[in-house]
Amino acid sequence: MSGECHISSLVVHSRSDRVQAIIEGIRSLEGAEVHGGADTGKLIVTLETDTEGQVVERINTIQLLDGVLAATLVFHHFEPVQERE
Amino acid sequence: MDVTRRTLLKTQAAAAAAAAAGVSLPAEAQNIATGEDIRLQWSKAPCRFCGTGCGVMVGVKDGRVVATHGDMQAEVNRGLNCVKGYFLSKIMYGGDRLTQPLLRMKNGEFAKDGEFQPVSWDRAFDEMAKQWKRVLKEKGPEAVGMFGSGQWTIWEGYAASKLMRAGWRSNNLDPNARHCMASAAVAFIRTFGMDEPMGCYDDFEHADAFVLWGSNMAEMHPILWTRVTDRRLSHPHVRIATLSTYEHRTTDLSDMVSIFKPGTDLAIMNYIANYLIQTGAVNREFIDKHVNIRMANTDIGYGLRPDHTLEQRAQNAQNPQVSHPSTFEAYAKLMSEYTAERVSELSGVSKEQLEALAKLYADPKIKVMSLWTMGFNQHVRGVWANNMIYNLHLMTGKISEPGNGPFSLTGQPSACGTAREVGTFSHRLPADMQVANPEHRKYAEKIWKLPEGLLPAKPGYHAVQQDRMLNDGKLNAYWIMCNNNLQTAPNTEHETYPGYRNPANFIVVTDAYPTVTAMAADLILPAAMWVEKEGAYGNAERRTHFWHQLVNAPGDARSDLWQLMEFSKRFTTDEVWPADLLAKAPEYRGKTLFDVLFANGQVNQFPLAEIDPDYENREARHFGFYVQKGLFEEYAAFGRGHGHDLAPFDVYHEVRGLRWPVVDGKETRWRYREGFDPYVEKGTGVQFYGNPDKKANLVAAPYEPPAESPDPEYDMWLVTGRVLEHWHSGSMTLRVPELYKAFSGAVVFMHPDDAAKRGLRRGQEVKVVSRRGEIRSRIETRGRNRVPPGLIFVPFFDASQLINKVTLDATDPISKQTDFKKCAVKVLAVASADVGGQQ
Repeated sequence: MSGECHISSLVVHSRSDRVQAIIEGIRSLEGAEVHGGADTGKLIVTLETDTEGQVVERINTIQLLDGVLAATLVFHHFEPVQERE
Repeated sequence: MDVTRRTLLKTQAAAAAAAAAGVSLPAEAQNIATGEDIRLQWSKAPCRFCGTGCGVMVGVKDGRVVATHGDMQAEVNRGLNCVKGYFLSKIMYGGDRLTQPLLRMKNGEFAKDGEFQPVSWDRAFDEMAKQWKRVLKEKGPEAVGMFGSGQWTIWEGYAASKLMRAGWRSNNLDPNARHCMASAAVAFIRTFGMDEPMGCYDDFEHADAFVLWGSNMAEMHPILWTRVTDRRLSHPHVRIATLSTYEHRTTDLSDMVSIFKPGTDLAIMNYIANYLIQTGAVNREFIDKHVNIRMANTDIGYGLRPDHTLEQRAQNAQNPQVSHPSTFEAYAKLMSEYTAERVSELSGVSKEQLEALAKLYADPKIKVMSLWTMGFNQHVRGVWANNMIYNLHLMTGKISEPGNGPFSLTGQPSACGTAREVGTFSHRLPADMQVANPEHRKYAEKIWKLPEGLLPAKPGYHAVQQDRMLNDGKLNAYWIMCNNNLQTAPNTEHETYPGYRNPANFIVVTDAYPTVTAMAADLILPAAMWVEKEGAYGNAERRTHFWHQLVNAPGDARSDLWQLMEFSKRFTTDEVWPADLLAKAPEYRGKTLFDVLFANGQVNQFPLAEIDPDYENREARHFGFYVQKGLFEEYAAFGRGHGHDLAPFDVYHEVRGLRWPVVDGKETRWRYREGFDPYVEKGTGVQFYGNPDKKANLVAAPYEPPAESPDPEYDMWLVTGRVLEHWHSGSMTLRVPELYKAFSGAVVFMHPDDAAKRGLRRGQEVKVVSRRGEIRSRIETRGRNRVPPGLIFVPFFDASQLINKVTLDATDPISKQTDFKKCAVKVLAVASADVGGQQ
């Protein structure tokens, strides 16, 4: 109903001993992708959601994953979905 | 949006995050401009929320702020943004934004019991001037007051200070920062003779251990927290130790956690001091060369009304700030009382935990950064708490060098820049000068080109005292700007609200939104906010940063600066200055306060032509000169040449802020240390030059208990504070739908055992009752804050649950800052009859 597509990215600081579990936890979230950073514990994550509210929800969920030290937003962009072919 | 475009955007998003994190995905650190963004005009500004001072890029389209994102070029946050900062673009566009003055009226006239009706600025200022003149005539300057803010821009605070002190000749000016970091500010002066931290955020990248004293940094200073965790992740030896009265997100993420009983942090610090002394970890050379030892007056009361039993009983309630010269041996003797056994019993922290903590300070190879915020500052012994942490750093010499230092975090964007540096406290002038000091007043009179003897010498009413004096009918004309005091002051039902509605008083509130404070006023003035005006803030690490006006405020909303200056035109010197003073300086006769304060040849010396043509500047166009530049340059004259140097005005519009003192164009990252600070003389190593003997003061004090502790009837500790999504009283963040949804109503965080004992279920409605008042809320036994048995935590952002009806107006007797962290309450189920009798 919102007709929007929101793309945002986060840096997720993770404890080294929990990185793999955190990556799995993030991947299980709808629209979330991990792009790298596992070796430094600073995961680069993108989110694709229908609303801005879901961006906040996803960040909160990620922040509460065991071993996540901080999850911080860097980029956000949205467009109407109608432009899709 | 097709798949290719999505992928492209995602790649760009990932690249931006990688750049911000310093993770190597191929990307240049740049500020994003996508297809959509190209039509936006992007400009820099500091975030408008907390004292961190993150840089944001603000995107404007068709006269409206439509987007913000972290500024990659800002050293503070390097492109990162917390969730509040991320939604900054929405704070100006709440549906209930105030756009015209509102006056309580009946039959076309002002009436205290009237209804709010829209009026013109002229009508608003007519009534306000009439009331001010009535009060000044009947009672004199001491009946006029103003309550400002650490959210004022630097020039707004400066203009307010001039108008209050030099115009109306009253020092009854205080900022809401009194509730927030007065204890820190007082202890800085008491210890170093100069306010504000010696170090800066660069310490985060150099420290081996972070000790957080009463600070939930992960939620309250999330961006600085990422710098802590970044350091922790990239250097496995780094440790984070957190002390708190309950568990929260920061304790979850720490390596060492100590949950202590409210108020016993004092004993813990003294235990660490004792440990350092007993184990030979004291750096005696540093102490002998750079430190004086002093003993604080003890038994100093709790800053309550003087007739309160606790004040009458206290030996030194009259002179709490006094300390006496002493010796290291006497200090060691006092500290020797704080053994591991005794402190463990008092605080509830195990001996092992205490010792592990002490070792961080004791080991000369571990660089320690101590951090604190409201846990220390909102404390009936807040100044002592600050002193005690300095004592640990002074004793070990772990101070004023990269990675080593005590660091006081701040809660408001310009608590440092405006409240402290400009000096909008009831006892202060710019650049750490004091109203009570005749030399300082003379200096101010000279810079301000005002007759000698004009400035009042007596410190004015501080925040809590202002509420009491309004209540007692002694403070009668009162202007509240840029804060929501009825929600944030303590014991509001008995001390604050009655003062606002006292028929003897005329209350003016300047705000952007109809807060509870505004609704309790007689006149509401609509404010322009943040990038609707040109501004300057100073953050917690001494960084001064500027922004341009990017959009116009809606309707008739005008900046606080415009309001202060325009209102000053309504008074002539003959109306407000004593006749004998004017007789000695007849050239000031018949002039308006605007003429003598703002059109004084200094403030109005920069023409409109100097304004950046790409930006609007409403105040400057209205008054006909570059107002902000004139005020800033006049203000900067106070500090240049003695340790508070600011760069020239125009420089700040180019850079992402500079940390003062700025000498020869260079900022100072570590003060008091040779090689870092140009004010330290060659060959001395360290000089605490804020004090005449260039030494710091180690001020010894004991543990003393809180003003009120739980007893059989009021059997729980109440701690209040913030949550991540909302900033302070929520006047801005509650107007962002996404933030409102994420945390919409305050709850009572309670231990499951305490709930079970009272037969309460999670989600059940309860009353939180103290000796002062009560609120209704709901029980939360899970979630992000986990409290120990015997203690509840309630956030204060929710205007429908004013927890400050319940809190106690006890303050630190030295700093006059309220303790919002310790009072006694009981929690009761709301009986079914109370719920509304549905059954």
